[in-house]
Amino acid sequence: MDDRKLAFFTAIEDQGGVIVKETPKFDLDLYIQNYKGRTRFERLFHVGRSSVPLCVDALKAAVQEAKAGSDILRYQMAVNSLFQAAPNEPEASLDKAWMESKEKENRDTTAHLQAELQGYKNNLIKESIRMGNEDLGKHFEAIGDVEAAMDSFWKMRTDVSSTEQLVDLGKLLVRVAIERRDWKSIGNHLKPLNSVNDSDPKAKALKTYSKIAHGIAALGQERYKEAAFCFVEASSGVPPEIYNQIASPNDVAIYGGLLALATMDRHELQANLLDNDSFREFLQREPHIRRAITQFVNGRYAACIEILESYRPDYLLDIYLQKHVPKLYADIRTKSIVQYLKPFSCVRLDTMQKAFNGPGPSIEDELFTMIEDGKLNARIDAINKVRYYLPLFLQRSAFFFMLTRLLRTTTKSITPISTDSRQQMQSKALQTLENYEKQALDRIRRMNIMAADLEVKGSRKPGGMNDISFSMTTDDTASLA
Amino acid sequence: MDTRLTVLTAFPPAAGIDNEEYYQNSQQHAKRVRELIRDNAQWIRESADDILKHVNPAVYSLSYLMILEYLLQSPGWTSQQAHESLASYMAQFFLQFDARQIRCKGSTWSDVLKEAYNERGLFPASVAVELGTTALLRLDPSGSIITSHHCSLVELAYNTGNVGAILPLIEKPIIYMPAKGMSTAQPLCDMSLPPPAYINPDSQLTDALTSAAVLQYDFLCGLCFIERRMWQQAFDAFERCVTYPTRDGGCSKIMTEAYNKWILVGLLLTGKPPTLPETTSQAAKKIFATQGKPYKLFAQAFKSETTGDLVREFEVINSELLPNEGNVELAKLVLAHYQRWQIINLRNIYTNISLEKIQERTQSAETGAPLPTVEAVDQLVQSMIADGSLQGAIERPKDGSPAYLTFLSSPAQGMSEVEFSAQVNKVMQGIKALEPIIEATNKRLASNREYISHTVKRQFDAAREHKLGLQSTGGGFEESSFHIEEEEDLMSGLPAH
Repeated sequence: MDDRKLAFFTAIEDQGGVIVKETPKFDLDLYIQNYKGRTRFERLFHVGRSSVPLCVDALKAAVQEAKAGSDILRYQMAVNSLFQAAPNEPEASLDKAWMESKEKENRDTTAHLQAELQGYKNNLIKESIRMGNEDLGKHFEAIGDVEAAMDSFWKMRTDVSSTEQLVDLGKLLVRVAIERRDWKSIGNHLKPLNSVNDSDPKAKALKTYSKIAHGIAALGQERYKEAAFCFVEASSGVPPEIYNQIASPNDVAIYGGLLALATMDRHELQANLLDNDSFREFLQREPHIRRAITQFVNGRYAACIEILESYRPDYLLDIYLQKHVPKLYADIRTKSIVQYLKPFSCVRLDTMQKAFNGPGPSIEDELFTMIEDGKLNARIDAINKVRYYLPLFLQRSAFFFMLTRLLRTTTKSITPISTDSRQQMQSKALQTLENYEKQALDRIRRMNIMAADLEVKGSRKPGGMNDISFSMTTDDTASLA
Repeated sequence: MDTRLTVLTAFPPAAGIDNEEYYQNSQQHAKRVRELIRDNAQWIRESADDILKHVNPAVYSLSYLMILEYLLQSPGWTSQQAHESLASYMAQFFLQFDARQIRCKGSTWSDVLKEAYNERGLFPASVAVELGTTALLRLDPSGSIITSHHCSLVELAYNTGNVGAILPLIEKPIIYMPAKGMSTAQPLCDMSLPPPAYINPDSQLTDALTSAAVLQYDFLCGLCFIERRMWQQAFDAFERCVTYPTRDGGCSKIMTEAYNKWILVGLLLTGKPPTLPETTSQAAKKIFATQGKPYKLFAQAFKSETTGDLVREFEVINSELLPNEGNVELAKLVLAHYQRWQIINLRNIYTNISLEKIQERTQSAETGAPLPTVEAVDQLVQSMIADGSLQGAIERPKDGSPAYLTFLSSPAQGMSEVEFSAQVNKVMQGIKALEPIIEATNKRLASNREYISHTVKRQFDAAREHKLGLQSTGGGFEESSFHIEEEEDLMSGLPAH
C-alpha cells in the first residue's frame, strides 16, 4: 500500500470505519451491474472507502457514477476521496465547469418544477398537484436533497386517488427512507404494498419488494430472525428490476442465508431455506452460501465456518451488512459450537481447537465466555483439556459407564459430569417448598404487624392524591452504632 | 415445718384441676404470699437463704418469684454478699421456673427479669444475656413472639459483645407482635394458648412495643449475625427491616440503613446483588432507589469481571457514606470476598482448573491485580475449602506437574429417591406446623377493627358489583377495584399448593 493510500485508510479507521485488506471474491463491474439508481454510487463509494485492493477502481467508478447524475455533493465526495487515495488519477481533480453548469441546471429545474407545482395548486387540480410533487421529489432525490425529497413525496399523500398511486408512493418513500437509514419508518411506508390483493397481477412483485425492504429495515434494527424470514419469503420469480434500486438477488441470498444461519436451528434451515424452491433459486446465485447452509445442516460446522470466513471480506464491503458481520459471525460460531457438542459426552479441547480454529481468542476462552453467558451448559476440564457435555440418559447408561472406564484406563482424561435434570428437579422442588414455608411465615408476620398497628406510618393522609412526598420517621434513629 | 413455709409451698395444687380453677388458686395464693411477706418482712430478709432452700423454684415458682421481688425492693439487700446471694437466687429461678405459674403473675416476672439485665449490674452482661435468653425461651419455647425484653437483651448483647449467648433467642423466627386487647376469655395458664394470647401488654409479660422498637430489634439481630459471620441469618434480619410494612408513604431511617447493610451482606452471601422482595413497600422502594443508590452501584460493580469499577464505587461510598453508617469493615470484607466469589463461580465453568489458571482468571479487589504468586492462590483456595465456602480439593500430582483444583459436587447433589422423599417430608412437616400459627392469626384478625371493616367493605363491593353485573349484562366495569387496590393483598405472590 502506498503512503497516500495508507494515510487515507488510517484517517478512515480513525473515524471508526471498517478497513478490508483482503481482496474480495466478487468482480466490481459485475457486482455493480446488479443495481440501478442511487444505490450504485452508495455501494461504489462504500467499497472505495473500505476495500484496500478495490479502493481506486471503486472510487473512480463512483466519480463516473456521480458525474452521470445530478448530485454535486456526491461528486465532490467521490473526487475528494479519490484525491486523498490516488491524487495522480485523472478523475481525482474536480471538474468545476461541470459542477457550475450542473448547479445552474439543478437550480433552474428546481425553480421550474416549483413554479409548475404552484400553478397546479392554483388550479386545484389534484392529479396535477400529485404529479408535480412527485416530479419535485424525484428531482430533489436526484440532486441529493433527500429531506426535501421526503417532504415532497409526503405531500403527495393527500392527492393520491388510486391504490396503484398509493403503492407507488409507498415505494418512493421506502427508497428515500432506506437512503436516510430511517429503518423504523419503513414498516409504515410498506403498508400499502402489503395490503395489495393477491389477485392483483403485480401482487407477487410488490410482496417481494416489500419483503426485501422490510428485511433490510429489520437487519438495520438488529432484528435478525425477522429479517431472515423476510428474505427467505422473497420470490425468485420476480424480475430483479423490481427491487434492484435497493438490493440484488445475490444480496437476498447472502442476507437471507447469513441471517438464517445465525438465528435458525438445523430443522428450520432445512425447511425454510433448503426445501424452499423459491429461495433455492436465489441460493444458486451464491453457491457458497448454499454450501455453508448445507454443511451446517449436515453437522459439519467447521466446514461451514470455514466457507463463511473465506467470504468475510466480501460481506464487509456490503453497505447494509458491514456493521452486522462480526455479530452475525459470532452468533453462527456460537451456535455451531453448541450444535457440535450436542451428540458428545465429552470432547477434547485440542480437537475443538482444530475444528473451530478461528481468528478470535483460544477455544478455551471462547468456551469460558459461552458458559459464563449461559449459552452453553457444560464444564471444562482444564487439566485433562476435555470438555464435558452429557445428556442424562447417556450418563446413566451401562454403555457409557463401560466406555468411561475403558477410556479412563487408556487416557485418564475422561470423567463424567452431569447436567442432571433429575437433580435440578429435586433441587427446584425442595427450594419451592422451602420458599413457600418462608414466604408464608413472612406473610403471617406482616399480618400480625398490621394487626398490632405497628406499621411505619408516613405523614401522607390516606386518600390524598396530591401529596406524593415520602416521609422519613425520625423517632427511630436512636443509637444505631 | 414452719407454717409460714407451708403457705409458700401451698401452690401449685395437685394435678387434676382445670385451668380456670388453677388460675383462681394462683391469684389467691399470690394474695396470701403478699400478706405473708408484709407480716413477716424481717423473717424473710434474715432467713432468705433458708426459706429459698425449701422453696424449689422449679415447683413453687410463684412463691419464689414473689420473694425475689420483695428482696429486690428491700433496702437491706445492698451489701456485696447480699448481692451475690440475690444473683444466685435469681439465676436459679430463671433457669428452672415453671412457665405456667409465671403466666399468672406476668408483671412481677417482668420486673424481676428487668432487674437481671438492667444497669444495676446484678449480673455481668454475659450472664444477664444468657439468663434472659433462657428465661424468654422457657416462657415461650417457640420464640415466635417479640417482647420488650427481646429488644433490651439484644441491645445489651450487641453493645457488650455477648452475641453468642443470645443466638438461641434471635435465631427463632418472630411471627407474632404483642398488642393490647389480645387477651382471651381462656385463663392465661391454659398451656394450649398461642403465645400472643398470653404474652401481651395486658398480661404484662411484655411492655407495648413501637414499630421503631421492632425494626431496631431486627436491625440489631442483623448486626449480631454479622459479628458471628452468619450471613444468611443477617441477610434475613435486614430483609425483615427492608420489607417492613409501611403505610401512608412512610419509610423509617432504620429501613434505609438496613437496606445498605442488606446489599453488602447479600453480596457476601450470594456473590451477586440481592433483589428487593415483592413485599417491599412502594414508598420504601423509592427511598432506597435514591438514598441507597451508591450502594446499589457498588453491588452492580461486584458483578463485573475486573475490579476497576468495584474499586471506584468503593472509593465513592467510602469517602461519603461508609464511615457515617458504620459499614467500612463490612464493605472491606465485600472487597476481600470479590476474588473468593470469582473462584467459587469458576465451578460453573470448570471441573478441574490449575492454580495458575485461577491466578490468571481472578483478581483481588483489594489490590486491583491478580494474586502475586501461585502459592498465594493455593493459600486462598485452601482457606476457602477449610471454611466450607468452596466444595473442592487441591490435587497435587505425584509426577510433579502443577497442582490443580477439582470442584466437588455439593452434598445436596445426587440425592437418592429415599433421601429426597425424606427431605420433602421434612419441609412438609414445617408447612403443616404452620396450621396452628395460621389459626392463631385468624383468631387475632377476627377481632381486629380494620380487618373487619376491610372485609365488610369487600363484601359490600362484591354485592354492588354483582348488582351492577346484573344490570349491565356482561359489560360489568370493575368499579370496586379502585377501592381494593389500595389495600395490600397479603397472600399474593405465594405459590399455589
